[in-house]
Amino acid sequence: MHIPDGYIDLPLALLFGALAVVILSVAARRVNGEISDARAPLLGVVAASIFAAQMLDWPIPGGTSAHFVGGAFAAILLGPHLGALCVATVVTIQALIFGDGGLVVLGANVFNMAIVEVYVGYAIYRLLVPYGEFQAAFAAGWLGITAGALTAALQLGLSSAFQYQLLTTLSIMGVGHLALGLIEGAITAAVYRYLARARPDLRPNTAPEVSA
Amino acid sequence: MTWDYPDWLPRALAALLVLTLLAPVFGWAAGQVGYAEPLENAAEATGATEHATAVGTALFPDYGVPGLGGAPGTFVSAVVGTALTLLVGAAIGRVLGADTDRRQ
Repeated sequence: MHIPDGYIDLPLALLFGALAVVILSVAARRVNGEISDARAPLLGVVAASIFAAQMLDWPIPGGTSAHFVGGAFAAILLGPHLGALCVATVVTIQALIFGDGGLVVLGANVFNMAIVEVYVGYAIYRLLVPYGEFQAAFAAGWLGITAGALTAALQLGLSSAFQYQLLTTLSIMGVGHLALGLIEGAITAAVYRYLARARPDLRPNTAPEVSA
Repeated sequence: MTWDYPDWLPRALAALLVLTLLAPVFGWAAGQVGYAEPLENAAEATGATEHATAVGTALFPDYGVPGLGGAPGTFVSAVVGTALTLLVGAAIGRVLGADTDRRQ
């Protein structure tokens, strides 16, 4: 889902870049001074684990593959604001050091993966958690990545490089990630279940300073 | 300034090491089946592929190390990227938590 340079028209790239800066600034302000010493390293560990997990390209016979993105996972474990900053860190390092995703469109990639996926995933989790934490985590990962993909498809479909074929980009990326997102949901739910049982103290509701 | 490491940190670092070791394996396996994301499929369907450009030069392009080959390059990239992300993320957490320290 990392968009390279040249795929999105410059005005759209600048617009979503500006939106990303504003939203992440608000997120940083919301959590500034609210993170305990014990939880500060958790941001680094979650970011690093998302980076490493994103390097695992799942081999799916048939030609279309995917990797874990981790936006909903970060949101559930860290809270949405810290989760957004966490994924934004990963996406930025991927672009600057590894050329994964363009530099001009970095803001758009951050918006899709670190903002849309994180906040949509977290909203779905909060909405469904009364019906079960595992199911809520699964739906958050599944639909969060689909929402991020649809936002990317919108940006691409409104750009000249894709000949403004919005329906094509929405259908290919929407349907594709709706299916591949099942893996994202399964990983999100499985890791969440493990952490919830092994280390319940790491959950955000045990540290209200980093919750929404 | 002191940094009290939480008790879960060693196990978390071990898990990160395992993930970095798996990266070349998954990279090889994905290559065997023809890795393509929906974004690439949409670009091919609309003829956008030729518009992709690279602005700037990455130190580790495509998660590889120039001259080092496939699997070793992927592993080095995984280690470097994971360590860098860990440090930057922890530093951000530390900076955002600084006010807590000052209040105490």
